[in-house]
Amino acid sequence: MRVKMRVNLGGLGMKNPVTTASGTFASGREYSDFVKLSALGALTTKGVSLHAWEGNATPRIAETPSGMLNSIGLQNPGVKKFLENDIPWLRKQNVPIIVNVSGHTLNEYLILLKILEEEKSIDAYELNISCPNVDAGGMTFGSDVKSVEEIVTRARALATKPLIVKLTPNVGDIAEIARAAESSGADALSLINTVLGMAIDARTKKPLLARVVGGLSGPAVKPIALRMVYETYQAVSIPLLGMGGIMNGEDAVEFMLAGATAVAVGTANFVNPRATIEVIEGIQNYCEIYGVKDVNELIGGLQC
Amino acid sequence: METRFDEQGIVRANKPVGAGLYLMELEAEKTAHSIAPGQFVHLRLPRMEAHILRRPFSIYSATPENATIEILYQCVGFGTAHLSELLVGEVLDVMGPLGNTWHTPDSAERALLVGGGVGAAPLFMLAEELLGKGIAFDVVLGAQRKDALVCRTRFEALFMGGSVHAFSLAHANSTLFCATDDGSFGHGGFCTELSKDLLSKQAYDYMAVCGPEPMMRIAVQQALECDTPCEVSLEKRMACGVGACLSCVVDTSEGKKRSCVDGPVFDARKVVFA
Ligand SMILES: Cc1cc2nc3c(=O)[nH]c(=O)nc-3n(C[C@H](O)[C@H](O)[C@H](O)COP(=O)(O)OP(=O)(O)OC[C@H]3O[C@@H](n4cnc5c(N)ncnc54)[C@H](O)[C@@H]3O)c2cc1C
Ligand SMILES: Cc1cc2nc3c(=O)[nH]c(=O)nc-3n(C[C@H](O)[C@H](O)[C@H](O)COP(=O)(O)O)c2cc1C
Ligand code: FES
Repeated sequence: MRVKMRVNLGGLGMKNPVTTASGTFASGREYSDFVKLSALGALTTKGVSLHAWEGNATPRIAETPSGMLNSIGLQNPGVKKFLENDIPWLRKQNVPIIVNVSGHTLNEYLILLKILEEEKSIDAYELNISCPNVDAGGMTFGSDVKSVEEIVTRARALATKPLIVKLTPNVGDIAEIARAAESSGADALSLINTVLGMAIDARTKKPLLARVVGGLSGPAVKPIALRMVYETYQAVSIPLLGMGGIMNGEDAVEFMLAGATAVAVGTANFVNPRATIEVIEGIQNYCEIYGVKDVNELIGGLQC
Repeated sequence: METRFDEQGIVRANKPVGAGLYLMELEAEKTAHSIAPGQFVHLRLPRMEAHILRRPFSIYSATPENATIEILYQCVGFGTAHLSELLVGEVLDVMGPLGNTWHTPDSAERALLVGGGVGAAPLFMLAEELLGKGIAFDVVLGAQRKDALVCRTRFEALFMGGSVHAFSLAHANSTLFCATDDGSFGHGGFCTELSKDLLSKQAYDYMAVCGPEPMMRIAVQQALECDTPCEVSLEKRMACGVGACLSCVVDTSEGKKRSCVDGPVFDARKVVFA
């Protein structure tokens, strides 16, 4: 049986529902020995900002039960270098490009978007208003209805490409934030970014991360992510890009059943550099076994 | 850059060698053929349960003829304790070859290798390489006690020409120096006391250092003081191992560098020690 794998994520056509989670795959070059990038539904880049960001002090990661904490802090060389070094290479890989857009201030996001608009080979934006690892901007934009409305409305006015807004799980009511992003013009929502957490070494009485707190990812967050995708699916009608602890095809199918149109693979890449490809194959296998002819039939197919 | 891969490795031997240290021999054909001195592998162990990340290890030795590599490791936590329990015949995933290599200039006339504890492991392949190139070198090893000086016999064999290489070092006047914290073997004290002494008596035009960070800091300071080009191999927590996640960055005079691709070997002059 030939399973129809193509999905449409708010105007972004993907030949299968799988992309990379921002910050776990750089711009793809580092994984190109392991993965044929053109096999992916899309590639989501590491967060890009207007100017170069240093990121946080090390240690920046810690392993925690069934997951990891990170406090990278959006280290990146800035949009100029990104356009010079990464985009020309990515363009040749024959994979839709989603650029993860980050900023400290509203103005930074908007100037950055204007610059990115000039680059024809970018296929969509993922507006990162959910990074827990920066002091100014990041998550603070995504945790308040008013600021979500403001930034999404302004970004929408500039962006001519599909605008995916990435939500933080560190909020009380995800549905409220999701509706605010939808009504302000988002084409799709992605969730979840990492869950705020920390880890302590009892022997040294020190935190395991230099920044003390960081973002939790990996299988440990999957139940939280599934719940939030499910709640968001009930609240909005725009498509969702689900992520959080997806390690294999079955995990991805669970996200689609909860309401995701597409999924992103993040921390799993660190465990298995071919995780993205195996997730695609896993979804296909599932569909073959369960007689699903079109992967779109899975979306929101949860039977309660 | 050569192509990186993720291959299955089969445990051929896995034995305690003293003082919480273990020696694992793995059949990993591609790695055995492609790994260069200084590089490392990223291991995914079976049955790690809730511990999801891979563990990085230097290569102690590689024998392409037998398709095997060896890893010398110290038990410090769950992953390494678990590694020590793997049985002969078990399979694990070996990602490699990762990272850069030592950069001994071909013009070097005499090198000094300083290894503290298990940090001596990544220096052994370098020593073999120097031997092959005909570059003279001295080796300083340090450990807490005699039974933790596990690399000693290998280096001794190398010096005696007893290794697989036919070339003998005897003519080059190379020496192996050992220090133990408790004085149970060789010099009683730190290996950096030996390196300090050697640097004051001998001219070296290259120095390679690997070990605990405080020890590396002292050795680097000594190298800087006598203007000896020096490289250090650093250990940073890693997630991806291929340069994508920016977990493993090191502060250098040229900004933040990823130790999994720009290192683990760094020019000591450029590293900003915390
Ligand atoms: C390039 C490189 C080469 C290495 N070569 C060797 C070697 O040849 N022999 C050897 O014994 N050890 C080596 N290490 C250190 C080894 O990776 C750690 O001892 C090991 O990861 C500890 O795992 P654990 O589960 O036992 O410890 P835990 O403390 O339980 O590990 C928790 C987390 O911290 C990380 N971590 C803990 N200690 C270190 C460390 N020193 N360096 C990097 N990550 C660490 C682990 O990988 C894991 O993600 C090397 C490290 C690097 C970066
Ligand atoms: C090391 C690391 C770096 C990340 N960097 C970014 C980033 O730059 N921008 C972003 O929106 N999310 C970033 N994230 C969050 C992931 O994209 C993803 O939302 C989260 O990790 C949950 O998915 P996972 O459990 O599959 O990793 C990062 C996550 C990790 C682990
Ligand atoms: S471990 Fe991911 S960049 Fe070095």
